[in-house]
Amino acid sequence: MSALEIRNLRKAFGGLQVISDLDLKVPPGQRHAVIGPNGAGKTTLFNIITGWQPPTSGEILIQGVPVQQGRPDLVTRGGLSRSFQKNMLLESVTVLENLRVACQALDASRHSVFRSSRSFSDVIRKARRAAEQMHLDTVLDRKVNELSYGQKRQLEVAIALCAEPKILLMDEPAAGTSPDERNSLIKLINGLSPELTILLVEHDMDVVFAICDIITVLSYGRVLATGTKDQIQSNPQVIEAYLGRRHA
Amino acid sequence: MSADVALSSEQRIGVLKRLPLPASRRAYAALFALFAVSLCALPSFVSGYVMTLAVEAMIAGVFASGINLLTGYTGLVSLGQAMFLGFGGYGIAIGTALLGWPLWISAPVTLVVVAAIAAPIGAICTRTRGVEFLLITLAFSQMFYGAAIKLRWTNGSDGMTGIPRPDLSLLGVSADNPTVFYYYVLAVAVLSLLMLWRIVTSPFGSVLVGIRENERRMMSMGYSVANYKIGSFALAAVICAVAGILQSQYTYFVNPDAMSWQMSGEGVLMVIIGGANVVLGPFVGATVFVVVKQALSMITEEYNLFFGIFFMLVVALFRGGVLGFISTLIGKRQ
Repeated sequence: MSALEIRNLRKAFGGLQVISDLDLKVPPGQRHAVIGPNGAGKTTLFNIITGWQPPTSGEILIQGVPVQQGRPDLVTRGGLSRSFQKNMLLESVTVLENLRVACQALDASRHSVFRSSRSFSDVIRKARRAAEQMHLDTVLDRKVNELSYGQKRQLEVAIALCAEPKILLMDEPAAGTSPDERNSLIKLINGLSPELTILLVEHDMDVVFAICDIITVLSYGRVLATGTKDQIQSNPQVIEAYLGRRHA
Repeated sequence: MSADVALSSEQRIGVLKRLPLPASRRAYAALFALFAVSLCALPSFVSGYVMTLAVEAMIAGVFASGINLLTGYTGLVSLGQAMFLGFGGYGIAIGTALLGWPLWISAPVTLVVVAAIAAPIGAICTRTRGVEFLLITLAFSQMFYGAAIKLRWTNGSDGMTGIPRPDLSLLGVSADNPTVFYYYVLAVAVLSLLMLWRIVTSPFGSVLVGIRENERRMMSMGYSVANYKIGSFALAAVICAVAGILQSQYTYFVNPDAMSWQMSGEGVLMVIIGGANVVLGPFVGATVFVVVKQALSMITEEYNLFFGIFFMLVVALFRGGVLGFISTLIGKRQ
């Protein structure tokens, strides 16, 4: 069974067809990139997979279970977590609090009204583990608005990991980072459990090639090609539509 | 060389970690203790008039605390919380004066009924956000205000009288005595404050703060944000209803004015003056509000004009309200 399966997906905004008859199968543990020029429908695809936007038609299955549209919380509970293209963090609280709240989301303690959140040591331990995983353990007590941009991107991924997902969707995790921050992020992502399925949207081809085994190229909402790095790099249609000569 | 410089930064962090509380918390604990001792000792030092003002400030503080849970912590600015103040007042009046139930039954029944009414209202209102939320809560409030004016069995705009204060004869005192009633209101206010503090420091409270900060992120973390908003709305309504019960016991009556939009607006002002998303903020705001309004009303009949200027100055000069300002000062000293 695929970790993620998309069947005949279509999405239109009025008369504008953003995604057309898209099929995609991502097996468990695969590192799969979705690339394409701006407006190809990559972020729309992510929004549909995660329940933020309803598809016009088609079906999305996460580990064989159809996605319930309009309920991103249930998608996360179903084992699929995402990081956002633009940072979506709780800016005025600390890094630890961001991670603690994220880890608490799938814990029974989330409904507790009359106990201090500090008394749930398991949740705090999980939050600290997520911070260590993304090398944020030295800035746990700092407020998010005091972090560097690169650290914020790391926190985005760390928050997504707190849900202990089977599938991780990352929307341009390296966007806006410096070369050093980008290299560090690549190392961190490659250090994640090999059982974790990753679906990545990224414009930076060095990041894509460093992380992913399989690449799907979207163009005007259609799949232009799917294959390994070498197959994609040598595909004339892809070179023409997106890559250009540098990555060929 | 000062001792501070002689210590390495790691040593300093180690020393700070060994202290029982961080400096800011110790400062807040000291402030809180001072506040509590002053309130307990107040009847021994002041006239009946000041005690009356203190009772009004505490009741207003409980009301504003309910608003703070919704506005300060959850980020939902409501202009309709006075409807729950009115529900509390009318609930206790119907229970005790109309149905003849004792207070110890009427009060909890009132709070349960308020929560039961607030949940569906919250379910409707929290489907909106921003200005729309503000207007829909105002619309609900005005709807119940209009109903209270028209309802004959609650005496329409005349309201209901004969609301009893608690029977404290077991303690050998009467709540009709102003000093005894002061301590009764103080006890209820402290309990409300402790309950609110527990709520906002709980996992539920941290979700509310998360919703205020970034609703989309909370949804993608796996939280059913709509349910938490409804929960916050209902809890805030119950706290406002507690203030309504106290208010009607204080004046021995309740009328539709308790549900007016002006009342809701004043509650929001108290939260802003004292400091939103700080547990003590609404009490500080309510105290400043009551005292300044009283002082201005003794000077001029046009006190509302000057109160408006005062409010503008507070907003302009004290970012985050009075407590926010103090918090910034403590932060700078550190």
